[in-house]
Amino acid sequence: MIADPGQILFLTFFGAAAVWFGVVVFRTRSMVRSAIALLFSQTAVGAMFLVMQAEFLGVLQIMMMASEMSIMAIFMVMFMMDPGGLGAMEMTHQKRLSLKAGGTGFVLALAVILLGGWGAAVQEVPEAAVQTAALGRELLGRSMFIFESAGLTILTAMIAATMVAIAPHGEDEA
Amino acid sequence: MTAELVVVLIMAAALFAIGIYGALSQTNLVMIMMGVELILAAALLNLVAFWRYLHPGAMAGQMFVLIVMTVMAVEMAVGFGIAVARFRARGSVEVEEARELGG
Repeated sequence: MIADPGQILFLTFFGAAAVWFGVVVFRTRSMVRSAIALLFSQTAVGAMFLVMQAEFLGVLQIMMMASEMSIMAIFMVMFMMDPGGLGAMEMTHQKRLSLKAGGTGFVLALAVILLGGWGAAVQEVPEAAVQTAALGRELLGRSMFIFESAGLTILTAMIAATMVAIAPHGEDEA
Repeated sequence: MTAELVVVLIMAAALFAIGIYGALSQTNLVMIMMGVELILAAALLNLVAFWRYLHPGAMAGQMFVLIVMTVMAVEMAVGFGIAVARFRARGSVEVEEARELGG
């Protein structure tokens, strides 16, 4: 099957944007800029979903990440000693080990990607409305147990996070 | 070999590597969570690419994407819960100052 050059171009563009903003997250000293760079990176990933004709997931990714990253930026400002990065604080440790681990992971993944036999790509994909309907049937049919487990997991996490975060009785008055 | 699939997988591998670097090298709990978010974004990209280019008829692929998004949300909620508790107790979320948690 012949590859679609337009799709490759857009995937490369948004992929490069996602990777570039991913690098910016850990290179900028300002924490708020880090959160915004991560938002752009995740939005580029959402745009890649749209290029791959997964409309529902693409829009979901962009919307979810926009809200998640704005919450993250607020927490950054709350918790950081130096959210603006004005004091040039050192915020990293074991840099060499981290670089080695990241590099090794990338090389191993690259070897699997380039040496693995992926077979021919399927060019036809169901249109957006058909996809969304089929996903709904999948979620409330064959995969219902997994889907419901995900819902229960979120509920448990919400209760757990709230219980961990609230102050023990009387601590705030002390 | 399918060129589109390989392009997406290489981008995902790069995001994964950046995420690993971030999660291991940062000293701030919120920055570590950002690294984990990048790793999960790479997993999402892989899932969507495999669904689109190898099995577009199988919606279980998209279902897994929703599950990974759930994991992202849960990671954020629990991570921020721990950050709030830690900040309340010690006044900082630097992991270098949490050595007493080590076994």
